[in-house]
Amino acid sequence: MKDPGTTLVEGALPPSAAGAEQPEPWGKTTVVGTRQPRIDGYDRVSGKAVYPSDVILPDMLFGAILRCPHPHATVKKAVTAKAEAMPGVRAVISGASPAADVDWHYDPKLATKLFDPRCRFEGEAVAAVAAETPQQAWDAARAIEVEYEVLPFVADERRALDPAAPRIHDGGNRFDEPDRYRRGDPDAGFAAADKVVELSFHTAAELHTPMELHGCVARWDGARLTLWESTQGVYPVQQRVAATLDLPLSSVRVIGHYMGGGFGSKLQADKYDIVAAVLAKVTARPVKLFLTREETLLCVGNRPPSTMRVRIGAKKDGTLTAVEFTGLGASGAYPAGGAALLDWLARDLYACPNVRCETTDVAINAGPARPFRAPGHPQGAWALEQAIDALAEALAIDPLELRLKNLTTVSQTRPGAPPFTSTGLRRCLVEGAAAFGWAQARGRARSEGVVRRGVGMAAGMWVAGGGGPPSTVVVKLFADGSANLNMGASDIGTGTRTVMAMVVAEELGTPLDRIQVENADTGTTQYATASGGSKTVPTEAPAVRAAALAVKRQLLAIAGDELKLPPSELRIEGDAVVSVRDPKLKRKIAEMQGFRRRGVLVGVGVRGPNPEGKVVNPFAAQFCEVEVNTRTGEVRVLRFLSANESGRVMNRLTYDSQVIGGVTMGIGLALTEERVLDRQTGKMANRNWHDYKIPTALDVPTEIVSLPIDAPDAEANSAGAKGLGEPVTIPTAAAVANAVHDAVGVRVTESPISPMRLLGLLAERRKRG
Amino acid sequence: MLPNFSYVRPATLAAAIEQLAAAGSRVHAGGTDLLGCLRDEVFGADKLVAIGGLAELKGIAPSADGGLRIGALVTLAEIAASREIASRYPALAQGAAAAASPQLRNQGTLGGNLCQRPRCWYFRGQFHCARKGGEKCFAVEGENQFHCVFGGEVCFIVHPSDTAPALVALDALFRIAGPGGSRLVPAAKFFVLPGVDYTRENVLRPGEILTDVVLPAPPPGARGGYRKVRARGAWDFALGGAAVTAEIAAGQVKQARIVLSGAAPAPWRVPEAERTLVGSPLDAASVARAAEAAVRGAQPLSANAYKVDLLRGVVEEALLALV
Repeated sequence: MKDPGTTLVEGALPPSAAGAEQPEPWGKTTVVGTRQPRIDGYDRVSGKAVYPSDVILPDMLFGAILRCPHPHATVKKAVTAKAEAMPGVRAVISGASPAADVDWHYDPKLATKLFDPRCRFEGEAVAAVAAETPQQAWDAARAIEVEYEVLPFVADERRALDPAAPRIHDGGNRFDEPDRYRRGDPDAGFAAADKVVELSFHTAAELHTPMELHGCVARWDGARLTLWESTQGVYPVQQRVAATLDLPLSSVRVIGHYMGGGFGSKLQADKYDIVAAVLAKVTARPVKLFLTREETLLCVGNRPPSTMRVRIGAKKDGTLTAVEFTGLGASGAYPAGGAALLDWLARDLYACPNVRCETTDVAINAGPARPFRAPGHPQGAWALEQAIDALAEALAIDPLELRLKNLTTVSQTRPGAPPFTSTGLRRCLVEGAAAFGWAQARGRARSEGVVRRGVGMAAGMWVAGGGGPPSTVVVKLFADGSANLNMGASDIGTGTRTVMAMVVAEELGTPLDRIQVENADTGTTQYATASGGSKTVPTEAPAVRAAALAVKRQLLAIAGDELKLPPSELRIEGDAVVSVRDPKLKRKIAEMQGFRRRGVLVGVGVRGPNPEGKVVNPFAAQFCEVEVNTRTGEVRVLRFLSANESGRVMNRLTYDSQVIGGVTMGIGLALTEERVLDRQTGKMANRNWHDYKIPTALDVPTEIVSLPIDAPDAEANSAGAKGLGEPVTIPTAAAVANAVHDAVGVRVTESPISPMRLLGLLAERRKRG
Repeated sequence: MLPNFSYVRPATLAAAIEQLAAAGSRVHAGGTDLLGCLRDEVFGADKLVAIGGLAELKGIAPSADGGLRIGALVTLAEIAASREIASRYPALAQGAAAAASPQLRNQGTLGGNLCQRPRCWYFRGQFHCARKGGEKCFAVEGENQFHCVFGGEVCFIVHPSDTAPALVALDALFRIAGPGGSRLVPAAKFFVLPGVDYTRENVLRPGEILTDVVLPAPPPGARGGYRKVRARGAWDFALGGAAVTAEIAAGQVKQARIVLSGAAPAPWRVPEAERTLVGSPLDAASVARAAEAAVRGAQPLSANAYKVDLLRGVVEEALLALV
């Protein structure tokens, strides 16, 4: 079985880097683990940093894509003559243009074109324009006359498998056989249970809304294409664009020095890259093509909607005897892992010998999904962790105790049940509960007033987060003691550049302000997989460390020559190399003649393999307190605590940023976010930042406590770190839902917990008495 | 992308009204909604008449009869920050403070808040709905969780303003200037229900603009407030809200006003609920009676029945806050 933890990110299949020398784990660190402001913080907030959407080139044109306004239609004709004659228009391309006759396969099994006549989702590309100004490009795009044959659609994944539902693909609306998993004897497990709970759940589709829009600038220099792309991974974009345009990889350079967020929606190339490249080719001018916010909400990803059922059985003492999970997710118009990993927590979070899971991915007429911060997991946690809460109530056991009762140290769902290198879940639960004051909060008298308080908790783990090869990093130390770090990985806003500079500083003693980071450029930086799957730190930090140590060895050798001492008796201290025996014997780096003659010391580091037969996953437990107004259905999250075990804490400041951001995003899933597709037309009703409601500062508590369980994982990799960005958002929504249940006794099984939904449920309960 | 339009910046109100006489002209005040509507093709414009510089439309000043005159260009932030409004007309101050976000309140004007177009996603989106000259109201059989439970008839928008319910409750007068001179319209008569005309939300005729809002002196013993519930903590319109005022003398309600937001295509006054309070002390029992009366006759659509409970709840909360 291919481990799902390693295949989440395009291009992440690891060739063996065995043999690469890996350093011993760190002991005490002096830079790593401290609180360091971002090295590029000033550039980012002052506007000095050039993001791809800031790129302006001489002679640059602007592109715009005309998109299908129907959820399902066939393009009969696209007449471009009027658009071509408009002022400033330099090119109009459509399905009829030879230059745009390019295959774009959303899936290897489904042959589709760049401008395919069959539009299976609202927002599918139909034609495109390049013009002197963005305004001219948009005016011309809208002047293209398209004749559509509008086809029946299906927008609700719960109806996709209805025999009467319109067929989106010839093979029907189910992309594949359901994914089935079984271990032990679930029926016997349920039969042996003293209590069984069974609940159904639904999570709404969430939309990615990174600050920077999706898009690129494309420029040809002869046969060589350069793309400035807002991306999480320059190499995956290079691969897809080169393959699509039939270019050698060496002829496609992708640059993404800065990027303004992606959350999984920018792990891959998109049609807009090809459209921009074709427009740039036919006009012989650079073309800038960034989508509008509305386009990004329609076309470039989402967290798929999911429908789930969970059944759990347990003994009186809380020991789980069986877990059953059924999930249905919707990839959208093309296969995109719509149900992927929905059942992962049901399989692997708690010790249980008998488990049965089935997940099904269906097609609907909506934009294809993309990975969204911990694909499948927050949805699965929404179901499993609420079901665990319900089980705890049925058994009259504290939810914390029930979880502690069922912990495991092995990955039960992987073949051979390999052990985790480290499992901090017990510490997350115990230390998190203590810091939150769980016992006191649970013991408090229940309020019967209009406004009621409740506390909730949930646990989680992330299927990946261990990272792994390949990665190659180059560190250069200059003769004045300043350093240059060259790596292919993108900093997607998590602080990767800063963390990696800290690794260099740890090994070479170089002050952070004397380290220059060059990254995310296929033309000048080394190979890296996309920054996704919470694997960037555990993948890149060991490679950076190895590169820095390679430099260090050379530096000590030079110093040893000059001081007439063996390198093993030397260490770096500040800006000098000193003898470990006699601190007076020292040589300043900037004064080493041998170094001057060499000019620069170059160290190459590669990411070594992960430990054989073990699994590297991060864990989390979260606790929150809410206040619910039973008159109005308003929910306020009063305080939140996230206890995370992600191995070593590399930089406490960026660590806490991830925690706060992930909790905020999880509160969005819990309380406010929901894509709405109009049932009459299939069109998205809320394609803007007002109607699609991401949480504001007033929707999250001022008190979000980050409680790191700082436990360096010596087995995982030479940095001892595991991923953090995704695990922080996995239990959040479930914790909020459990707190709402604690407050008012209503279990909200469908997200989001809006006043609309909550008032409806409270009214139902009143009716029932 | 914005359409092409000409842009004029007249120096006087009279000149502005002259400019507005041409068909296709639109007023540009704060512009927070106008530019979005143009960009999204909710409506078009051939000419924008910028009124931001008109001194006549600015300022908060006492009126001769002890009331207050608020220029249409006064920003929501100014209203929310005015000590005079907060102490004498708290419902209005709270309404202004509950609108939008700090940035939008700094830029958005009172006139714009009162005259803004509906936020219905069918009206704003690519749907050829009745209000835009189409055949039907898509909310009837569509996604209607945010739509009205009163007064819809043919178009089920809710009026988006948070200041309008307060002004109706406060018996404000709106001054309208146009080619034929100026006129005063009671706030309650300014807004137009779909049953009367479903293509507009107020009585402004082409070429007319709202210039001032005039508030009468509050009666002695007057109290007031605005309570709003929204799906998100900021930058969101009311799911349901209530502007309330009550004149209390000798421990009894002499007169009360209850005006709902998020409930109807116009600020929705509920006189029957108001009457239940008169002659009673303002207490839990009378408030509950009034809240129940406030939602009587509500006609929910498929997905907004929650609004009946919600509106009952906000009326209760708004009134209890006056106790």
